[in-house]
This record gives sequence, C-alpha cells and structure tokens, in this order.
Amino acid sequence: MSVFVTVAIRVLEAMFFIGGIGATLVLILTGIEDIETLLGADDSEHH
Amino acid sequence: MASSFQPESPTSKRVRIVVATSVMLTFISYWRAAAIVLNDLGSSAFYAAGIAEQAVGKSAPWFIVGVMLFSFTVRAVYVESCSMFVRGGVYRVVKEALGGTLAKISVSALMFDYILTGPISGVSAGQYIAGLINDVFITADTHGWIPQAVHSLFHGTPRFNVNGTAVAFGVAVTLYYWWQNTKGIQESSEKALRVMQITTVMVVMLLAWSALTLAKNGYQPVPLPTPQNLHFSPESLGFLRHSYADQDLARLFGFFGILIAFGHSVLAMSGEESLAQVNRELAHPKLKNLKRAAIIIAIYSFVFTGLTALLFVMIIPDSVRVPIYKDNLVAGLAMYMWGPQLLRLAFRAFVVVVGFLILSGAVNTAIIGSNGVLNRVSEDGVLTDWFRQPHPRFGTTYRIINLIVLLQLFTILASRGNVYVLGEAYAFGVIWSFTFNSLAMLVLRFKYKGERGWKVPPNFRIAGREIPVGLASVFLVLLSIAIVNLFTKSIATVAGVSFASVFFLIFTVSERVNRPKHALAEQQMKEHFQLLQSDTVERSGLGIRQGNVLVTVRDYNTMGHLKWVLERTETKEQDIVVMSARISQFGAAAYALSTEQIFSDYEQRLFTRAVSVAESFGKHVSLLVVPARDIWSVIVQTAMNLESSAVVTGVSSKMTPQEQAFELGRAWEAIEEPKRQFVLQIVHPDLKTVDTFHIGPHTPAMKTEDVHLVHRLWLNITREPGLGSLHHHDILTEALTRFARDYAGRDREDILKELHKTGKTVTTRRLGGNGGRGSEPPASKEKPVPKKGDGGPNSPPVVSP
Repeated sequence: MSVFVTVAIRVLEAMFFIGGIGATLVLILTGIEDIETLLGADDSEHH
Repeated sequence: MASSFQPESPTSKRVRIVVATSVMLTFISYWRAAAIVLNDLGSSAFYAAGIAEQAVGKSAPWFIVGVMLFSFTVRAVYVESCSMFVRGGVYRVVKEALGGTLAKISVSALMFDYILTGPISGVSAGQYIAGLINDVFITADTHGWIPQAVHSLFHGTPRFNVNGTAVAFGVAVTLYYWWQNTKGIQESSEKALRVMQITTVMVVMLLAWSALTLAKNGYQPVPLPTPQNLHFSPESLGFLRHSYADQDLARLFGFFGILIAFGHSVLAMSGEESLAQVNRELAHPKLKNLKRAAIIIAIYSFVFTGLTALLFVMIIPDSVRVPIYKDNLVAGLAMYMWGPQLLRLAFRAFVVVVGFLILSGAVNTAIIGSNGVLNRVSEDGVLTDWFRQPHPRFGTTYRIINLIVLLQLFTILASRGNVYVLGEAYAFGVIWSFTFNSLAMLVLRFKYKGERGWKVPPNFRIAGREIPVGLASVFLVLLSIAIVNLFTKSIATVAGVSFASVFFLIFTVSERVNRPKHALAEQQMKEHFQLLQSDTVERSGLGIRQGNVLVTVRDYNTMGHLKWVLERTETKEQDIVVMSARISQFGAAAYALSTEQIFSDYEQRLFTRAVSVAESFGKHVSLLVVPARDIWSVIVQTAMNLESSAVVTGVSSKMTPQEQAFELGRAWEAIEEPKRQFVLQIVHPDLKTVDTFHIGPHTPAMKTEDVHLVHRLWLNITREPGLGSLHHHDILTEALTRFARDYAGRDREDILKELHKTGKTVTTRRLGGNGGRGSEPPASKEKPVPKKGDGGPNSPPVVSP
C-alpha cells in the first residue's frame, strides 16, 4: 500500500471515529430531548 | 393590451395579478406525516439487510442497527433544516448555503436516489411475490396437490423465474404509477396511514412470533462487528478488490473495514429526505409536531429495520438465508418461525401483501418526489420550459414524468431483477444527498442569521463563537462513508457519477440556453403584468366586492366557462375573479417558490389568454394565482376568503361533474367555521349544459306537488281547534322530525324500501350539511342555463344559494 493510500485511510478512519463519538453525543442529547417531547415537557416552539 | 383592466392604478399599463405566496395546504397530524415518511423509510427493511449481508457477511445486522442508530442523528439535521426553512429540502438548503452549482450537483445525486428508489422497491416487491408463488408450489407439490400434467409440463415442481418475475412486476408497477401520475391522482396521507397501520400489525406479529420462536428453538449468534468477523464479497470491495485481491482484507483494513461495512449498510436509512417534504404540511405547533413525527419515524424504523435484521440471522439457518432468501428475508423469517407450516405460509402471504403495499407505495413516492424536484429546478430556469408543458388533457407535467419513468424502466431492465445491484447503486444517491445536506447545514450555522427553531446539539461557545460539534460530527461520519463508498461501491460510483454528471450537464446547458429566453419572458411579464405578492388571499387585496364569481382556469385552450360567465355577468354589479391554482405535491412542497416561480411562463400564457377573452367582452376580471396542495381545498378556501357567491369551472377530464361537486363538498366540510354556502356551476364544453350544485347546507328545491301537499296539510291542520296560527314551516318541521325519528328507529328499512320503489334513492352524494352520514337531497341541477338576452337571468348568472 502506498503512503498516500495509507494516509488517506487513516484520515478517513479518524474522521469516522471522531464523527462517531460526536454523533453518539448527538444521539444521547437528542434522545433526552425526545423523551421530554414525548412526555410533553418541551414547549419550545420558538427559541 | 390590458389598459382597461387597471382601475386601481391608472398610471400603469400592466395587468395586476395577485400572487398568493403561501401554499393553501390541508394540514396533517404528526402521525400522518410519520406514516408518509415511513412508507419510504420502512420499505428498506424488506431489502437492506439482505444486501448488507451479501456484502459484508453474517455480522451485517449489527451494522444495520448502527446505521439505524446513526439515522437518529441524520434525522436531527433534517429537523434543524426544517426549523429554518419550512420547505427545507436538499436543493433549498444547499443553494442557500453553497450556491447554485453545488445545489445542482446535490439535486443530481438526489435525482439518482429517487430514480433508484422506484426500481429497487418494485423489483424487491416482485422478488417477494415470486418467492411466495414458488414456495406455494413446493408446499403444494409435497402434499401431492399439483396435477401430474402440470408436473410434466414444468419437468418437476412448477417454478417461476424469480428475477424475471421481479422485472415484470417492477415494470408493471412503474407503468401503473406512471399512468396515475400522468392523470394527476393526488397522494393521500390517509392511504399512507392505512398502509402503516397494516405494516404495524405485521411488525408486531413478526416480533412476537420471533420471540416465541427464539424461546422454543433457540437462536444462532450474530457475530460481533469486529474486523475479524467481516467477510467481504469481491463485489463489495469495488475498485479495491483489484488492488488487494490476494491479501487478508480484514487484517489489512482493520478499522477501515468497519467503515466499508457501514457504507454497505447505509441504504437502510434511505427515505429521511421525505421528512423535509412533509414538514410543510404539518399542523400547528409545527416544530413540536415535526419532532414528534421524527421520533416516531426513528423508533419505528429502528425496530422494524434494525431489530428484524438481527432476527434474520438469529432465526433463518445459514444454509438458506443468503442462498435462498437474500432478496426476501422477511418472507424467509416467516417461513422459519415456530409453528405449523401452513400457518407460516399464511403469515408469509401476509408479509408479501404488506411488502407489496409499502414497496409499491415507495415506487409512487419516487415518481412524485423526482417530479417535484425537477419541477422545482425547472421553475428556477435550470430546465427548459418544454419539460413543464402541461398534459393537454390532465394538466400534469407529463414530460418530466415520462422522463423519470423511462429512466426507471431502463434501470429495472438493466438490473435484470438483481436487488443487490440496485441496492449498491442506490446507496450512492442516499449518502451523497445526506452529505450535501449536512455540509450545507454546517455552512449555514455560520452564514445564516435568520430564525432557527432548533439546533442539533451539542454546541459549544469558544471566544464568543459557536462551535456546532454535533452537526460537524454527523457531517464527518457521512463524508467519510461517502468517500469510502466511492471506492468500494464500484457500480454505485460508475452509475451514480455518470448519472449525476449527465443530469448536471443537462441542468447547466439548459440554464444557459434558458437564460436569454427567461430574461425576455421576464421582461415581457414586467411589461404586461404587475405581480402583487400577498401572503394570504383577501378580498381587499384584489379590490373586489362580496358575492363575486370565482372562475377557475387551468388550460389556456379551454376557456369556454370563462366566456360563459362573461356573457352572463354584469361586472359593474358583480366582480369576476379568475383563479389559477399552482398544485404542488408532497415532494414539491419541500421547495420554496418565489413569486416569479409561482407565476411562471405557463401562468403568463394562461392569464394573457384569460385577459384577452375578458377584453373581447369589454369586461374587467381580477386575476389570482394560488399555490396549493389540494385543488378542492384551495377552491373552497379561496371562495371563503373572497366571499364568493359562485364558483364556475369547466368539466374535468378525469371525473364527472357529480364527482367534482362531491370533492368540493368534501373540502367544504373539512374547512373550519365560519364558512358560507356558495353555488358551484360546471359548464360543459358545448356552453349550453351547466350543472349547478349547492355547496353547503341549503334549502332544497321543492317540486310543485310537494308544495301543494304542504299547503293542503296546512289548510287541514289550521282548521283544528287552537292551531289556527300555524305556519307552513311548522308543518315541515313536524314532518321532518317524525321522518328522522322513524328513520333512526325500526322503520328505517321500510323507508329505504319505499324510496327505492318510488325511484327516489339518493344517487348524488351529499355536498355539505351533516358530515356525510345520512342521505341528502340530490344536488339541484339546472340545464341548460339561458344566455343573457334570451330570457335568462342577467346578474348574477348563478342560482342563488
């Protein structure tokens, strides 16, 4: 494998890994909001 | 040419046209919105897991589960975009953030997505049907139910060629919806809701029976999603297989293998874009309902697509799962449940019926969606007006529909019924339209200063500047998968890039060709028409009086009914409003329309003709363009807002005058109080026959003998002691009260029998009044209506309500 391909693969892996951690945070935080919305606690029609 | 039509602005030579910029929509609940999206999103449960397992091996279900969890975050991006732009589809968002060129590229990718949605859904449905038929034959054969003659004819158990049948079915369904869309049949949220209700019954049965099966039969473990458990097929490595064919790919790729596998599972979340399309139609409170719909969609698709993917591997034996059931895994799951074979076969038939409903619905959604997108870019001058020429009979954009369907048919035939090939290609459009959308949203976090109802969390502030960590993370994941897919999905890359490039080229060339023509058309429009933008339709905006006549026009070749009205109306006493409704379907509603787009080249031609007809009578007409979701709702709502006494229209090419009146009556029932009655007059092409209908409750027309009967009864009853002061209406009240009581009681059958006998069964459906529950007097019909000057009424021309 050429150096270029190796670097490109590592960059993509890093993007996916970092993005994945952030996306997990999004999932948790929106999940909490979703529960509030379902329970009717969210009244924020206009922020 | 139109100077006589400018009473309000004597200095201007231009015709004033009020262009309502808000689409008159029938708002829907979040349940219905979720059902519409799930009709698209849920359909992938029928094929996504099979495609993923063929590509990455037995641990594929974990990636499907991962993708479905990730879809929660993609959904969050769409919610944010919808909270900024009510019609926040990809084209709108990308154009706003990244400009026209990237918007054209993103729309090209989205078009690829839509074009592929139809074939993959149609072919997949065909696979389920063919698989069921073949299994029924096998079961029948094992029971000795197949006659020997049939057995000899097929040289064994009868068997359909599965891929061939899938192609035939896909072509048939696509052609069916081509015709439906050419005719312009409206998509109904009611139908989507019913399909999802049936699907829910199937999902609940599937999960419950699977739980029982697991308890009784045990389960096969699903290998964890580690690099060691990934077994890529040669096709699933795309361009990489040529470079690393002889090496241990799993060991070689390591974590990168996870990305490849994730990329092969991404089509499980296809259909999220539909969320942006239904947002416009959501009832108040919009954001809250959007969130609720999004939650329902995410949970439902996670359970349906994600959990069933795990169950496929846990329950269906390895020996048959991929070799036999790869393209119809839900049916395979039904066949390996615990219980008697005939019961399993019956459940499989139910699965096939549900699959047929949801997958064929997705074929229709694909045609509607791509028609909406191409209409939108066409209105922007990116496609020539030739594409938007309405069908001479149905008024639909049939050339765009033809183009889409031709591409879909080509795709179905080229795939030869291979769902895997279609799925591979499909993923290209899905991932790139998501990536463009999330990139655009990220850019808009810094660029867009307008109102934003909700933001994807978390967001941190560093040195007074907001860092959209959540949004950036979602974008990073999407971009990394999109890039990896470029290399590992060779079919998708070649087909997608070719398709998107051709579309991009068509868009770019068309835009260049169109530019001078559009400039000229715009110039002409500015010279002849003065567009007055208005959020809502109001009488004051048009400068007209109460009791006006609303004339609906659609085709500039059929203006007979306008002539009919002009002949009979004295415009000094009664105003005439000529209205054109710009209909947009679910797909199209996702895209914002500017005034110039609503009043396009076609409307310009339509109103030029209307004005010249009015001019030939020397009479003034007011002009109005209203964007709408549903033609009947918009006519009723406009008639209400303008306080019209009559609505006049031509005969539809698709329905009878009675059906037209019924639809209008139903729309009248659906709108909120206060509402007023009006008269609908449908003028036939001979301009002599006119069907008149009263919309809303009204005094029925009484026959002379009935009037005499009431009078005779009144005479007799007033002779009774103490009843001398009785009125005719008291007789009617008493008679009707007794009739209603008898009808509600045991005499109902007798009454109906009597009405049948006397030939007075109500054949015309009710056009207003009691909510459609009971029989109503038929709509009054008067034909022909005499012309002014030959003894007919002068003004108003219509029958008073």
